[in-house]
Amino acid sequence: MKNNVFLPTFFLLWCAGWTSALADEVKCFESRKGASEVTQRMIGENLPNVKCSPKTGAVLWWGDPFDGTVPMGDMPIADADYTRGKALVKPRSDKVGLLPLCGNTCHTGVLPSGFPQNKDSRQLIMMHQAIVLDATKLPHGRSAIWCLDCHHPKERNKLVDHRDNPISFDQPQKLCGKCHGEVYRDWREGIHGKRIGEWASTGTKRWFVCTECHNPHNVQHGERNRGIAQHQPEVAPALPKGMKTADHERRHHDSARH
Amino acid sequence: MDKLKRFVVDYVTYVVKGSPAFYAWIAFLCLLILGLLYGTYLHAADGLGYTGLTNQVHDGLYLANFVFLVGIAAGAVTIVFPAYVYHHKALHAVAVLGEMLAISAVLMCMLFIVSHMGRPDRLWHMLPIIGIYNIPHSMLAWDTLVLLGYLFLNFVGGFYYLYRKYTGQPLNNKFYLPLIYVSIVWALSIHTVTAFLLNTMPSRPMWHHSMMPIRFISTAFAAGPSMIILIFLIVRSRTKLWIENAAIDQLATIITYCLGLALFLTLSEVVTELYANTEHALGLNYLMFGLHGFTDLVPWFWGSLIASIAAFMILLTPYWRSNYRLLALACILAFCGIWVEKGMGLLVPGFIPTPIGEFTQYLPTTLEIFVTLGNWAVGLLVLTVLLKGAIGIQLGDIGYAPPTQGKVPVGTTGMATAAELT
Amino acid sequence: MSKDMSCNPEGGCACSGKKAEAAPVESVSSRRNFLKSASMLSVNSLLGTAALMTMSDDARANTEWAEWFQGNYRLMSDEEKALARGRLERRYSREYAKTVIVDGTPAQEGVLMGYALNIKKCIGCRRCAKACVEENNQSRGKDQDMEWIRVLKMEKGEFSKEKMNQGYPEGLGIQVGGNAYSPAGVVLEGEHYYQADAVPEKDSVYMPIACMQCEKPPCVKVCPVRTTYREADGPVVIDYNWCIGCRMCMSACPYWARRFNWSDPNLPKEAMNPVTHYLGNRPRMKGVVEKCTFCIQRTRKGRYPACVEVCPVGARKFGNLLDPESEVSRIIARKHVFRLKAEQNTFPKFFYFMD
Repeated sequence: MKNNVFLPTFFLLWCAGWTSALADEVKCFESRKGASEVTQRMIGENLPNVKCSPKTGAVLWWGDPFDGTVPMGDMPIADADYTRGKALVKPRSDKVGLLPLCGNTCHTGVLPSGFPQNKDSRQLIMMHQAIVLDATKLPHGRSAIWCLDCHHPKERNKLVDHRDNPISFDQPQKLCGKCHGEVYRDWREGIHGKRIGEWASTGTKRWFVCTECHNPHNVQHGERNRGIAQHQPEVAPALPKGMKTADHERRHHDSARH
Repeated sequence: MDKLKRFVVDYVTYVVKGSPAFYAWIAFLCLLILGLLYGTYLHAADGLGYTGLTNQVHDGLYLANFVFLVGIAAGAVTIVFPAYVYHHKALHAVAVLGEMLAISAVLMCMLFIVSHMGRPDRLWHMLPIIGIYNIPHSMLAWDTLVLLGYLFLNFVGGFYYLYRKYTGQPLNNKFYLPLIYVSIVWALSIHTVTAFLLNTMPSRPMWHHSMMPIRFISTAFAAGPSMIILIFLIVRSRTKLWIENAAIDQLATIITYCLGLALFLTLSEVVTELYANTEHALGLNYLMFGLHGFTDLVPWFWGSLIASIAAFMILLTPYWRSNYRLLALACILAFCGIWVEKGMGLLVPGFIPTPIGEFTQYLPTTLEIFVTLGNWAVGLLVLTVLLKGAIGIQLGDIGYAPPTQGKVPVGTTGMATAAELT
Repeated sequence: MSKDMSCNPEGGCACSGKKAEAAPVESVSSRRNFLKSASMLSVNSLLGTAALMTMSDDARANTEWAEWFQGNYRLMSDEEKALARGRLERRYSREYAKTVIVDGTPAQEGVLMGYALNIKKCIGCRRCAKACVEENNQSRGKDQDMEWIRVLKMEKGEFSKEKMNQGYPEGLGIQVGGNAYSPAGVVLEGEHYYQADAVPEKDSVYMPIACMQCEKPPCVKVCPVRTTYREADGPVVIDYNWCIGCRMCMSACPYWARRFNWSDPNLPKEAMNPVTHYLGNRPRMKGVVEKCTFCIQRTRKGRYPACVEVCPVGARKFGNLLDPESEVSRIIARKHVFRLKAEQNTFPKFFYFMD
């Protein structure tokens, strides 16, 4: 009984300690909730690393666009934007080691024996139900694909290409581009997707990779059929002087349009 | 030179003296001017935040009055033109009063522009050489040019006439007549350019049509002479200066034509816009019927239209027109109708909706109204003084006499009546 | 002059700010609210002006006088420009209690700035509008909130079965038109102040509008003092110190891209972005017009505009129109692009496109 109380209490105290130490800490998300997050801090005199929206918690402004980035790594296609300038990404590989347990077992890249490694569709029982509720009906691909079509069957800290070679989580475009060729081409050339940093075609840019904006497990978000999850919008602009509401905007004036 | 000095002294001495009614009128105007001074001070100190203007409707009462008063200034030509081109005797005798009206109207225009501007302290940026005067590209630069030119022409023309009259010398027609003819054409230019100021902007479809200049001219030549007839009737009843019926009738005829033309143009616009009813007609729809539940301007539009039509009806009927009480009513109706038509009927709906479709309402604040009244008060004060001086000279109440004979005594009965001008 | 001028002469003013606190003003209770508060404000300004003139802040007074007498920025010599910027840097640094940079980087050779926006991707989250405010030092506060970007929500509209027989005019039962289509889906029917828990909403499309940096800008043509002009690398800028506040440019703009400082801007010290450009985001004063400059303070230094960086869906693209490899050039070459209100012949360097 005593033990039962002691452990949670200790945990709570530990958490409380962290919370007070990080009392001023503001965490914001970069592109979509659930993807990359940053903690607000000062990186120079009068220069915060990010400015965040008080309403939505989204990053509104980057003091240093390259803060916490690493080179994107090799890309097989020459003649694309990343061959001219310097392409950086925010590393995502470490995210698979979220909990100590994960980083010590499967996500080290060595799969313990006994785990099935074939691509046959089956339910997830112990892990990852939070990510994919019903693995036999994966929304992405409308059940036509399954986890191990994208995740490496043996190296669970990697994604997989057509020839069972591993792909880094920092370069998910190599995986996504397998099917989404047209979008991939647009992304390579800067037409699709988000980049921050220097605008010149030869400039240094931080590239946002596919999964920073799209949820790879549920890209289309059901009926809405759009690749982007819904966002909470920022506050509406101030009404002009003398206006109390914006109700008039929803009143259409078809009667006047003969 | 001595004559000129005497002219100035006599003129000033004459115009500052008058009856209690005159002083009461001046005091009333000064009270309104106090409001203007206070408002101007607030504008200068803290900006235009005290007005009802917004980024959506960013020109309002001030610019509307400016546009209207340019018309009044141009309307003065309705005396000068018949007087000098058609040698209309009755109008020829009082043409100088029209010039005095033009001077005060242009002054008011300038005051309204100063009230309207965000940084009047930087007006010097518009001066050539030390600043940049963006001509020929900027219509505002053209408008400044024509307005200043018009002020100059009327000032020189008017005071040259008065000075010659004062000294008893005949006019030098080689100098005077060209001045008058130039000023006649110039009068057309001021309201035309003011129309160009608005209608050269395709961003505002309500303004962007080629009918604007002629509509401006026709309303100006209705509102201007309306005000002149009212002034004439007042002058006739309150001073010794008798203005012939022929003069008033001639002006009434001009108003009739021009008001009729203005109404016709309004009708043309309504039909043109509403028949097709494109998005470009949204402003007019908003004005005439209200849109999105906003109906602030609707009564103004219909009120203005009814006033103009009523005025036109009175003017069109010879029996009514020759009754000067009814004529005065018609003039008041026409004047007010056109004033509303320029402001609430043209300027404000030009901004609603905004070019990207936002609907909003504009309501002038109390301070804005005070400043507007104050600007009018300055103009009326100047007009009163100018008319008083001009009438005094016309009547011969002030005239140049050799120094030995002493000044013409001031304060005779005739002058007291002249001074009662209100 | 940091004043929170939420003033409405009918409703009275809520005047706060350090000057109001530093100089309490006797109020006469019998006077009307607006007169009272207005006079408070004016006394504040009087004190402010007095502070400008007296020994209390001599340097500041000199700065303001020198600013008042300076010429049009574009016509200044390089030395005069540097002097003007240094003057501003000293004043801003003092006013905002931080080191403020007023940059004057000129246009680069071979650069023509262009912008592209994927109208299909925009979800209407308004982050661009807010990021713009963070970057560009617009006035903050309820009554003065100034946003250069406006995001319109437009309904897709619908055809309804119920209205199939409603044609007009209805005489003789012969339809000359139909009423089955709701009049939505056009720019002038957009919602500017939409509120939603989440965007994009069902059956809605969004259209952000800001300055188009026209190649033939009507606003520049109408300016009586040429305070607004096109820079060699494309953006249309304003010398705020030369602007006389006549607002002709605001009337002339077909995209409603210009804003006016109705009062002294309210820019809190902590919110102020100290990295500025003379023609860009430096703090403005009352009575002048301001607008988007493609973040000239960033783009002249090679950095993307703030709205491009913040867009969570990557709908916003920026680059050099003269560089065939740039993002915008590629978009123009490959995608369906259109310019807003192309019939106005303003030739925007802002392109809308679709995949």
